[in-house]
Amino acid sequence: MFDINVAVGHWPFRRIPHQSAESLRHHLRRHGISGAAATHTHGLFYRNCHDANLELAEMLAAHGDFFVGIATLNPAYPAWEKDLAACVGALRMAGVRLAPAYHNYALGNACARDLVRAAAACGVPVFVPHRIVDVRQRHWLDTETVVTPGEVIALARAVPEARIVFLEYPVSPGVVAAADGTVLCPNLYVETSRMVSAYGQVLAAVVRAAGPERVLFGSGAPFKEVMPATLKLAHAELTEAERILVCGGTAARLLARTPGAGP
Amino acid sequence: MNGLPEHLGTIDFHNHVYPGADGRLDRHRAEALLEGSQRLGIHRICVSRPLTEKSPSPTEIRRANDVVLEAMAYHPRFVGFCFVNPGHASEAVAELQRCILGEGMRGVKLYHQHVICDPVQRPVMAWARETGVPVLMHAGKAMDRATRRRQPRLSDSRHFVRAATMFPGTVLVQAHIGGGGDWEWNLRALECRPGTYIDIGGSVVDAGMVRRTVDTVGADHVLFATDGSLEEGVGKLLDAELDEATMRLICHGNAVRLLRLGGA
Repeated sequence: MFDINVAVGHWPFRRIPHQSAESLRHHLRRHGISGAAATHTHGLFYRNCHDANLELAEMLAAHGDFFVGIATLNPAYPAWEKDLAACVGALRMAGVRLAPAYHNYALGNACARDLVRAAAACGVPVFVPHRIVDVRQRHWLDTETVVTPGEVIALARAVPEARIVFLEYPVSPGVVAAADGTVLCPNLYVETSRMVSAYGQVLAAVVRAAGPERVLFGSGAPFKEVMPATLKLAHAELTEAERILVCGGTAARLLARTPGAGP
Repeated sequence: MNGLPEHLGTIDFHNHVYPGADGRLDRHRAEALLEGSQRLGIHRICVSRPLTEKSPSPTEIRRANDVVLEAMAYHPRFVGFCFVNPGHASEAVAELQRCILGEGMRGVKLYHQHVICDPVQRPVMAWARETGVPVLMHAGKAMDRATRRRQPRLSDSRHFVRAATMFPGTVLVQAHIGGGGDWEWNLRALECRPGTYIDIGGSVVDAGMVRRTVDTVGADHVLFATDGSLEEGVGKLLDAELDEATMRLICHGNAVRLLRLGGA
């Protein structure tokens, strides 16, 4: 099982367990997870967030058989183009995360779309979290702005050649029934940690609506406990083929570089 | 492991049933709740139908409680809680008598119409104390403007500490430590005044939250609950890796004691 939504590092507003790659790897393995895509937690707060990418590469260097790194880039900060090239080149990161609320821009801004186009040209997907933590419990210095499904859909439609991964996708049975655009957008991928199964079968409904090749298992560890996410998968009414894709097959395809893409 | 072990006989202390378009119990949804709970090893489900308006009328409240009574008649795994608005004191007490003494509901459910330490709560709290039923109060320490605007009378732990002094002998249960809000603040505020019960329900599954709750108020004051978030409730409890005796208390023993279920 491959987890598309984990992070390493320190969160300034609450004590988070398993901050190191070594500890997080052990923790995920105990839950039956054999690989994960990791972002850098406190890099969200660096003005020059490329330093966080350098740190992330160091943190994951000894764990290349388990973690792939996901860079954090700020399109409103100078030289992001150079940082993107370094991340997908020398640092061998498999994707790029955007965090507009932490870097003071909107997802609809031209600079964000420019970065997403550049990531697509490099053959790497762009990760957009709905939120890092539940804003109802936010620290008074933390943001209470979330990325809405509408903003992500607009981005995906504006840059159709990009592959966008919406983490912490907030989905309800009613949204799925109404054929939400997030589900229908062909270049949008969604992560499972907030989709219920035992009481409502939302996860299975999303898989049916979007196809299993656009749904990715994620836990949100170490911010969140892992077992809620694995239970949702266990109780989802999926075919074996769908389950294989959601558990890791889709992630393997997504994170593989597009042949011929630079740098 | 795909759920809670069967031998625990787990009781979900905080959940809900809903009316359908005709105002009667939505049986399809109730059935889905029963089936989902079964999958996860939850045997009995405490349900209520709180109204979130600022001041629901006694007539509206009777209709809401009738949905709960229908659920209790529909399946014996449902345990009813009676929702009242303490702002209508005499009607609230009459509704408690109807639903709890007359129809077999086991607890009182309060929402955010008034904070729990508001003097307006006195008649309801006195009735609950005399009758020996617990009071489950919607709660949280909201840190975002949207929730604060929507729920200006949301009770947090500081309100519960005051209420414990104002209403001695009444069993107070703080709802969903994972219901959204600064749960650490809520636990710290209870450190010096133990006695309040807490249910672990809600969609928030922050790492370490359940363990911290048990360490703060004690295993004999923590109640398993989901508030509709089934995998979240079960998963975060299992991930807390508590010992067997603690699990028995949280999943079953404490609820049986408060609800006088006689080990059912």
